Amino acid sequence: MDRRTVLKGLAGAGGLALTGFAAPAIAQGASARTLRFVPQANLANFDPIWGTQYVVRNAAAMVWDTLYGIDDKFVPQRQMVESEEVSSDGLTWTFKLRSGLKFHDGEPVLAKDVVASLTRWSARDPMGLMLKAIQNELTAVDDKTFKWVLKQPYPKMLFALGKGNAPCAFIMPERIAQTDPFKQMSEYIGSGPFKFAKGEWVPGAKAVFEKFADYVPREEKPVWLAGGKKVLVDRVEWVIMPDPATAAAALQNGEVDWWENPITDLVPVLKGNKNIGVDIGDPLGNVGSFRMNHLHAPFNNVKARQAILMALSQEDYMRALVGDENALWKPLPGFFTPDTPLYTEAGGDILKGKRDFAAAKKLLEEAGYKGEPITCVVAQDQPITKAFGDVTADLLKKLGMTVDFVATDWGTVGARRAQKTPPSQGGWHMFHTWHAGADCINPAAYTALRANGDKAWFGWPTSEKVETEITNWFNAKSLDEEKTVAARINKAAIDDVVFAPTGFFLGYTAWRKNVSGVTKGPIPLFWGVSKTA
Amino acid sequence: MLAYALRRVLSTLPVMAIVALFVFSLLYIAPGDPAVVIAGDQASPADVERIRANLGLDQPFLVQFGSWVWRLLHFDLGTSIFTNLPVAAMIAQRIEPTLSLMMVTLFLTILIAVPLGVIAAWKAGTWIDRVIMAFAVFGFSVPVFVVGYILAYVFALKFDLLPVQGYTPLSQGFWPWLQNLILPAVALGCVYIALIARITRAAMLEVLQQDYIRTARAKGLGQGGILFIHALKNAAVPIVTVVGIGIALLIGGAVVTESVFAIPGLGRLTIDAILRRDYPVIQGIVLLFSFVYVLVNLLIDITYTLVDPRIRY
Repeated sequence: MDRRTVLKGLAGAGGLALTGFAAPAIAQGASARTLRFVPQANLANFDPIWGTQYVVRNAAAMVWDTLYGIDDKFVPQRQMVESEEVSSDGLTWTFKLRSGLKFHDGEPVLAKDVVASLTRWSARDPMGLMLKAIQNELTAVDDKTFKWVLKQPYPKMLFALGKGNAPCAFIMPERIAQTDPFKQMSEYIGSGPFKFAKGEWVPGAKAVFEKFADYVPREEKPVWLAGGKKVLVDRVEWVIMPDPATAAAALQNGEVDWWENPITDLVPVLKGNKNIGVDIGDPLGNVGSFRMNHLHAPFNNVKARQAILMALSQEDYMRALVGDENALWKPLPGFFTPDTPLYTEAGGDILKGKRDFAAAKKLLEEAGYKGEPITCVVAQDQPITKAFGDVTADLLKKLGMTVDFVATDWGTVGARRAQKTPPSQGGWHMFHTWHAGADCINPAAYTALRANGDKAWFGWPTSEKVETEITNWFNAKSLDEEKTVAARINKAAIDDVVFAPTGFFLGYTAWRKNVSGVTKGPIPLFWGVSKTA
Repeated sequence: MLAYALRRVLSTLPVMAIVALFVFSLLYIAPGDPAVVIAGDQASPADVERIRANLGLDQPFLVQFGSWVWRLLHFDLGTSIFTNLPVAAMIAQRIEPTLSLMMVTLFLTILIAVPLGVIAAWKAGTWIDRVIMAFAVFGFSVPVFVVGYILAYVFALKFDLLPVQGYTPLSQGFWPWLQNLILPAVALGCVYIALIARITRAAMLEVLQQDYIRTARAKGLGQGGILFIHALKNAAVPIVTVVGIGIALLIGGAVVTESVFAIPGLGRLTIDAILRRDYPVIQGIVLLFSFVYVLVNLLIDITYTLVDPRIRY
């Protein structure tokens, strides 16, 4: 074979390929029955118990149903359950499942599936762990009934089963739920209103959810995770877009229908487009956090932590994040989500009014701070933490502190913050994060507020007062009692500076106006959403 | 020739082994922890530890490396820590968009860059040459993502001619496939066009000074024939070399281009895997890219024999 033969061969192959390319395009019909959605992040895994990222929880809420669902008043309403009964001593809970529940593989949902699912969930969820610790037995009585017998009353039982915080108590077939909770399952079969199209899943690019024809919605009006989850489209396609500018352009061009969380900088462009609707997405917003390491000097001294509270301007943090959009932030002289029943400002005066740098510097001096470098670990790949980090570097310098600013990515922050070693040996003094407001409505899922030392969240704060009051909240039997306890928690957590809240902030969501039914909620709610061509 | 190709393919094995060891070591010492990402922000340190243990990430370096190599020897790239899917399957899902993008970019590039370089050499020193070289400087200087945004704004948002983002498989038709690739290919190809146009010009200038070109002119051959049949063929070796080197540029550029145009290719898979510290995926992709690079070099060497019959192995 000579080179001319090879070249002729290549040309022939090219011609052949072109002939093949002329295949007719597949019809693009039924676009009105397909909702194309840009989520906040990539759906990289799909086990909502093993991986507790918000994006996994949001997708899981489409596929797996829960026994209860919270409504917009934070009251758990029946979802898969038809009725429940609690014994007079509060120790035995008996639940009955409603009729017509079916998994996506056609099998009926049975009490044994629920028992296995709750067993797996309770190994990972903070409230589940509490239940497990006081559990006598969790058993299936018959196909539709299961019983949870406890050693002591647990007034927050229904909230635990219906809360939207990850991990939610999702119900799966028994064979899947028997997977080790610390290992990832590989079958994604639920009984929720959507089926997961595993064959079409391209992690990092696309996830597809199809309407589950056999789903029987409740009769009640849908409110957040409660009520009738009526699906009005055939398919929901999650299109992962790492670049916000591309997502904005795609929404304007009609290539996607709904963008979960447009960045603030691009919102004016979207608002200027007559085909696009923009509104606050999650009314529970987020709580910004300046997290200090309670194990090492100077922040092992409460006076140093109080100095930060005294000097910290929440407005600076919020402006760095949302700019001039006043509707997107609120000061937060406390820890609980604003406009929710337990919100309180008790003890929060230190975060209000003019910032007192002189007093803060004095407190730092009393804490024994002598100019040692403060290691701030700041994730630059997250716009929120980057903005917070820049404000903090400025704040610490104004306080006369030496700043060792470690600019890195979120993956590294995640690993480094788990180090308890001194900052000079790979540990840290402070990092920033934020908590979904839905996690901060009460102490139930508020891991960041715990102050039980070694067992607490990163920073490992210790405060007996906070811990005692959190226990009191779990035992509270009325909302008034809960409110009283929450005020005491708030004051104790500010006094001991469990962490420094940097403010409360909200985000927008945006959709094309041929889509209707987009509602505000702690997660994107796909039931009730419809689309015209 | 066949023996030569076989020898070259075999010689890639030690190269791949060194790449494998290097990549594994680099990831082992790099900061970050996939267990933290998996567990989520609310997880306790104990939960993170348990997930890490289940993933085998608490094992010593040699144990982890040994089991990875053992799997590799069985042609198993492992399983993604996050998706629980085989790495080979994830690469297979993503390879078509990246290959398509690279092919269209290469096609566009050669179609545009080579004639530009030839014309610049032919008109060396004139305003045409200067305009072409100014374009080349522009292509080198402007980052891919800036070109991408400008193209998307003009051709998608302003005139609604092409889609902003996404990828349509070739199996759904040639035009749907191509229309998703035009803007990214142009954006990605800018640097490449600039590079090849400059090399073509330089190589052509040298060839156009040769005696046989003067002879061709003297015997009355047309300008087109001289440029594209006699001169270009003899200038082809350096051009083909740069095309090969440019494959590395394309792989690097694809990472950015795929993010800007939301193309679900290997570039985005690489970025996602690095950000999440999905070690098996990173290792699999780097190995693949290394192999492709070695293979492309082999193909370039073989191509030399096609464009210059004097070269024999």
